[in-house]
Amino acid sequence: MSAGAPPIVRIQGIVKDFRPGLGLRRRRVLHGISFSVREGEIFGFVGPNGAGKTTTLKILMGLIRPTSGAASILGHDVGETSFRRHVGFLPENPYFYDFLTGREILRFYARLSGVPRARLRARVDELLAWVGLTRAADARLRTYSKGMLQRIGIAQALVHDPSVVFLDEPMSGLDPIGRKEVRDLILRLRSEGKTVFMNTHILSDVEMVCDRVAIIVSGRIRFEGATHEFLAGGEPEADVVLAGLPPETAASLEEDFRARLRGVAERIELRVAEKLVNPLLRAAITAGAEVVSVTPHRMSLESIFLSAVEEDRARRNRAGGEERT
Amino acid sequence: MISRVFTIAWNTGREAVRSKLLYTLFFFALVLICASMILANISYVERNRILQDIGLASIRFFSVAIAIFVGVGLIHKEVERRTVYTILSKPLSRGEFLLGKYVGLVGTLWLQAGIMIAVFAGVLLLREIPLEAGHAAAFSLLAVELAVVVAIATLFSAFTTPMLASLFAGGVWIAGNLTRNLRDMGADSGIEVVQQATALLHRVLPDLASFNLSIEAAHGLPVAASDVWLPTLYGAAYAAIVLVGAVSVFERRDFK
Repeated sequence: MSAGAPPIVRIQGIVKDFRPGLGLRRRRVLHGISFSVREGEIFGFVGPNGAGKTTTLKILMGLIRPTSGAASILGHDVGETSFRRHVGFLPENPYFYDFLTGREILRFYARLSGVPRARLRARVDELLAWVGLTRAADARLRTYSKGMLQRIGIAQALVHDPSVVFLDEPMSGLDPIGRKEVRDLILRLRSEGKTVFMNTHILSDVEMVCDRVAIIVSGRIRFEGATHEFLAGGEPEADVVLAGLPPETAASLEEDFRARLRGVAERIELRVAEKLVNPLLRAAITAGAEVVSVTPHRMSLESIFLSAVEEDRARRNRAGGEERT
Repeated sequence: MISRVFTIAWNTGREAVRSKLLYTLFFFALVLICASMILANISYVERNRILQDIGLASIRFFSVAIAIFVGVGLIHKEVERRTVYTILSKPLSRGEFLLGKYVGLVGTLWLQAGIMIAVFAGVLLLREIPLEAGHAAAFSLLAVELAVVVAIATLFSAFTTPMLASLFAGGVWIAGNLTRNLRDMGADSGIEVVQQATALLHRVLPDLASFNLSIEAAHGLPVAASDVWLPTLYGAAYAAIVLVGAVSVFERRDFK
């Protein structure tokens, strides 16, 4: 995508409140999230369960209305319907009419998507071959395995040849072979010039296929950027393990050096920027701590993901503590 | 728009045709229509009228029962099973989806009622009972009644569970058949509040008794053209208003 080209997907300040039950109380699940997806990339939307990934995707698909904020795909507000002929969607654990055969369900979706009658038969056959279901095409969907349903799900998302495809946990529940097949299908989509938006919590898959990622934790975007920047770039860090560190010093080290602290038995592990290792060690030794080890740390998507989750947990604990006091 | 509505309608019909529940009810209706011959033979008097009463009542009751039982799950099932996710991600509005489901079920019910009517006509022919204009009028208004009942079931299906929706839709059907009597009773009461309340109920609830020409058909009584086209017009308007309400409710829903 050229630098000035508008993004394919744009989310700006989306807030979503749900009202559990019949009461007036509202629960905020998205706190003003913003990010964008560029043309031709595989974008990974990553987060733990309950982070707000599926809610965001449902807002993009028009299945849920945002409380406030704006979302657009291909420059159209997500509340419109006509532009959806350029959009494909695979929900998490998709369910289809199981009284239909694989061929019938694809014809059904193709008709809904406005595939011309003259092209319909050939397109359905082409898709069935593309996802490797030609032999099972005339079997009812109730006889399909989970992997086959996932593939028919991908086929229905592509039957109208969309330019942008949204996949919600496309590899969830699949065995390693199934995951590899779906991963290959996603890479093929990119090679065909399509934009892919993928919700997932399987980080290894994200590292393997995604060009860019956004990490969402508790309804807030924690990171957005290129996957290779996360993997190779970023500030180098080190893990420092200390023994005999007084608790009050641990807290001040955490604060002064922006270190992330984890208690391991009677030791304390601190992850800190490499350039801050020496001053941190000096402060720790002065406080009477013993240095057990210092290990350079390679940033991985998993570490970013976990630290975002931990930060969020700490933030909520602090908020809870302040509320109690 | 029409092709998308038709695609949903066709698929709804296909689902209904492949549904076991529907076949069970359909089978019972056919058995009862045929059994009406035996039941009529038990009687010494007015065998032909009894046969027609039972046959017409069976067609009406089972058609309405299928309309309610299938209709109340029409939208709810799609949401519960999440089939709606992939469908609404296509270039299709929620209104088109709901209309397609409605048209599909009404079409299926008309086809089924048509088969039941054909069996009933066969029974009449065996008993050498002539098919008259009253029969045609009764069957036409049954079709209108089914369209109204499915619209009501669809409305409830758009926002509540099948269990509650079947209670609501069944309740409306029973009340709709009694609303004329209620209005008349209210008028006879001489109390203004009761008169106004029963008149209001008669206006709000569907006047389903106006679609029932079974007595005229069974007794060979004359039926004026206005007895058919006025209720048809009324039924079409009522179903349209209810469907607009159903679409409006469905449009506001979040599919969590």
